[in-house]
Amino acid sequence: MEHGSGGKWYLNAEHYSNEIAEKYDLREFLLEQYTNFEQISVRKVGGFSPVGMDYTFRMPIIGRVVKHMAERMLHSRKPPTDPFRPEGHFGQVVPLEDGEEILRHCAVEPIIEKNCMCRYMTRGVKEACCINFGVMSEIIDQLPRFIPEKEKYHLTREEAIARFREHNRKGYIGTIWFGPYPYINNLCSCENPECAGLRPRVDFGIMSIYKAEYVADLSEPACVGCAACVAACPFGAISMDKVLDRPRVDQELCYGCGVCRHACSTGAVHLVPRDRIPAVAGKY
Amino acid sequence: MTPILGRPVRKTRTRITIDYSRCGDGKGVDPRECGRCLRACAPAVFLLHETLGAVEDDPLDPQAWRVTALWPSLCTRCGACVEVCPEGAITVRP
Repeated sequence: MEHGSGGKWYLNAEHYSNEIAEKYDLREFLLEQYTNFEQISVRKVGGFSPVGMDYTFRMPIIGRVVKHMAERMLHSRKPPTDPFRPEGHFGQVVPLEDGEEILRHCAVEPIIEKNCMCRYMTRGVKEACCINFGVMSEIIDQLPRFIPEKEKYHLTREEAIARFREHNRKGYIGTIWFGPYPYINNLCSCENPECAGLRPRVDFGIMSIYKAEYVADLSEPACVGCAACVAACPFGAISMDKVLDRPRVDQELCYGCGVCRHACSTGAVHLVPRDRIPAVAGKY
Repeated sequence: MTPILGRPVRKTRTRITIDYSRCGDGKGVDPRECGRCLRACAPAVFLLHETLGAVEDDPLDPQAWRVTALWPSLCTRCGACVEVCPEGAITVRP
């Protein structure tokens, strides 16, 4: 996976192709995985129960070892073997424009939207926020509990873009996922702390997801200091500077999701490429 | 222990127990229909799942669902889950 200098892995159409799914026999793998989806978070991995594993993550030395092992599994590039483990399942935050680009040029049809299982498992709420492509869509067709209750869940490209835009405006974080590497089949609109993919990163520092190729820039003179962006940031990266009467962004905390822009009435919030800011260049 | 990502770490572990004779496992209340604790918990500590895998004697039953406190270290001990549970099935001990 290459970062920076125009190397957006998620805009490489090869990762979306049905040939990759065929090559790794992902049809069967994904069907098995999604049939048993709700159990996977509580199943034992290598003899250890994940329940209460968060305390282990926080132990000084053992925690680092366990987190390293978790990262190795998530970033595995070997052909996936065990559908009960999240092998090769990592992602990156994408702002609205990149999400639209994925849907317009990379995503393989059929495109569908399915119920977000993270929201169901953490909150008991069914909300259709995940957009799936290709082989993944065909698998969801066989699993009724993922299918939203409304009549139509197969989307055209334009409909999918409109749905993604709607979620993003609502404040959901756009994310694109390998599932499993090297096949990309999921464009999610996540919420913190419900998302099972953001949780390891945000709460425990496990690299389950990379920050976007961008960071927020609030230096625009048009800013009127209304502080709407402060409340909109899902990561608490924006705060108000009362002396200057304008918001400031902590670029270390910023994930570059661009959700803050939708809250701004004067269009004063922009995203700038991460590589252009020395403080965060190369820090994903 | 040092604070992780700016969050304070408590000296003692929070023990959250759920009495499965009152909620889940096909007995008492079905957590898929109730779900009050899931919605009450600000840091989303709980997970709703099919009965399986948390312990050895917990066989797979896709019909019987239960709630597990998957991330107890993120619990703020606010007591909201204990308060909203209609069965009094949840206990939170420092």
